[in-house]
Amino acid sequence: MPPAAISVEHLEKFFPPTRSGWRTFLQPFERPTSVALAGITLKVREGESVALLGANGAGKSTLLKILATLLLPTQGRAFVAGHDTALDSRAVRRQLGYHAGTDHGFYPRLTGRQNLLFFGRLNQLSTSATMKRIALLSQQFHLDEALDRQVRTLSTGTVQRLSLARALVHQPRVLLLDEPTRSLDAIAAAEFRRFLKAQILQSGNTSLLFASHTLPEVEFLADRVAVIDRGRLLGFNTPELLKAQTQSATLEDTFLRLTSSTLPLPNDPIIPGEGASS
Amino acid sequence: MSRIFREVWLFFWRDLLIARTYRTVFVLDAVESLFGAAMFFYVAKFVDSPQLEHTLPQAGGYFAFSLVGFVFLDYLNVSLDTFDRSLEEARDSGTLEHLLVTQTSLSVLVAGSAIYPFLATTVRIAVYIAWAVLLFHFPLSAANWLGVFAVLLATLLAFSGLGILSASYLLLFKRGNPAKWFVLGISSVAGGMLFPVSILPNWLQLLARLNPVTYALDGMRIALLGNANFSALLYPLGVLLLFSVILLPLSVLTFSWALRRTKMNGTLTHS
Repeated sequence: MPPAAISVEHLEKFFPPTRSGWRTFLQPFERPTSVALAGITLKVREGESVALLGANGAGKSTLLKILATLLLPTQGRAFVAGHDTALDSRAVRRQLGYHAGTDHGFYPRLTGRQNLLFFGRLNQLSTSATMKRIALLSQQFHLDEALDRQVRTLSTGTVQRLSLARALVHQPRVLLLDEPTRSLDAIAAAEFRRFLKAQILQSGNTSLLFASHTLPEVEFLADRVAVIDRGRLLGFNTPELLKAQTQSATLEDTFLRLTSSTLPLPNDPIIPGEGASS
Repeated sequence: MSRIFREVWLFFWRDLLIARTYRTVFVLDAVESLFGAAMFFYVAKFVDSPQLEHTLPQAGGYFAFSLVGFVFLDYLNVSLDTFDRSLEEARDSGTLEHLLVTQTSLSVLVAGSAIYPFLATTVRIAVYIAWAVLLFHFPLSAANWLGVFAVLLATLLAFSGLGILSASYLLLFKRGNPAKWFVLGISSVAGGMLFPVSILPNWLQLLARLNPVTYALDGMRIALLGNANFSALLYPLGVLLLFSVILLPLSVLTFSWALRRTKMNGTLTHS
C-alpha cells in the first residue's frame, strides 16, 4: 500500500509568549506555552483533496506550515509522501507546492515571468520546462499581461494568481494552499477552482490540502473536510457524512454545530479515529 | 556540483536583474568613487612628508596606503553585511518562506545571495582604483595580481563566516548586526585602515593582531603595492585561512541551529 500523501500523527504545536524590550533576547529560549495544535491526527490519500475548515486562529495555517517544513512540531510527527517533515525536510520539499495565502513573497522589481522562472528553476525545472509551464499557467490564470510587468505594478488579485501559479509551476505531488482565493474576485476565484478541479485534481496524481473560509469552495473542491477548532480536530469526513453525522442541512450548520457551544450536537462529537482518517 | 553552481548563478541572475532596474545607482557610484579618490589624493598631498613615508610599510606614499585601506574595508563591510541584509530583505518582502520551501539547500540560499554583492563591490573597487590610476598616479606597477586575488578570496572566506554569524543573530533577535559593529568598530582604530598599526600603543597592537582586518589590509597592501613575490603573502594569507577554517563551519552550524530555533518558535517571518 503506498504511503499517504500526507500523514499527521498526534501533532502538537505550542508557541512561546512574545517578548519585547530586553526580554527579546530571551525569546528564542522561552518555553512554548501557547497552544496552536493539540494532538491532531489525519491522513490525506494520494490524489485526494482535503479542506481545513476552522475559525481564525484555529490552527489551519500552523498545520500547513509544519507540512511545508516552515515550522517544527512540538510533539508528534508529520509526513509528506512518507518523508518526515522534521527529519527529512529536503525530500518533503521535493513533493511540495505551497501557497501562503498572502500577496507577498515576490521580488517587486522583477516581472511576473522572471519571478516564476526564478522559483521554477530553484525547484529544479529546466529553463525551457519552466517557460512551458509558465505559458500554460498564464493561460489558465489570465496572467498574460502580468507576466511582463514588474510585480510592484500588479493588483493584489493578480499577485495572488501569480502566487498560485508559482505553487503549481513545478507540478508538485502535494499542494498546500492557505486560503487560495482570498484576494481573488468572484470570477477569478471560480475559474481557479474549476482549473484546480479539472486540471490538477482530476488526474489523481496531485493531493491537495487547503485551508478556506469559503464554504462553497470547500464543498466544490474537497473530498473530505477536517473541522479544526483551537488546535483540535472536531470532525473529519466527506461533507455529506459530516452533515449527516451532525444532522445539519448545510456545511455551515455542520461547522457551527461542531465548533459552537450554542448549537449542541445531536450526538457525541465526531472525534476521528483511524477509521475516519484512513 | 554543477547543480550548486546553477543555483548560485540563479541568485546572481536575480540580483543582477533587480540591480538593472536601478541604473542610476551605477552612475552615482562611479561619480562617488571619483570624489573619494580625489579626497584621498589631496589629504595625502597635505599630510605626506619624508618622515611619514618612512613610517609606511609599502611604497606609494600616504595616498596609496589610505586609499587601499579605505576601499578594501568596503569588502569587509559587504562580507559582514550581505548575509544579514539579504535575509532581512527576504523576510520583509515575504520571499523567505517561499525560498525555504524550494528544493534548494539552505547553504546555497545563503551563498547565492552573497555572490552579486561581492561582484558588485569588486567592480566598485576596480572603478575607484581606475580613477586613482588615471587621474592621481596611483602606483600599480608593483602589483602582484595573483596575490591580490588570493588575498581577496581569503578575506571573503574569513569575513563571510562573521557575516553568517551575524545573520544567525538577526534570525534569532530580529534586529542588529553585532559582528559588523564589533569588527568595523575595532578596525577603525586597530585594523590599519588609515594609519599603520605600528604607531599604536602596545595593547592596541595586540588587539590589532587578533583582528582579521589587520591581516586582510596588510595582505592587500603587500600584494598591490609591495612589489612582493608570493612568499611575502604567506603569513597574512595563512592567518586569514585559519580564521576561515574556524569561522565558516562554526557560522554554518550556528545558522542552521538559529533557523531550527525560529522554526520551533514560529518567528521565522517576524521582524
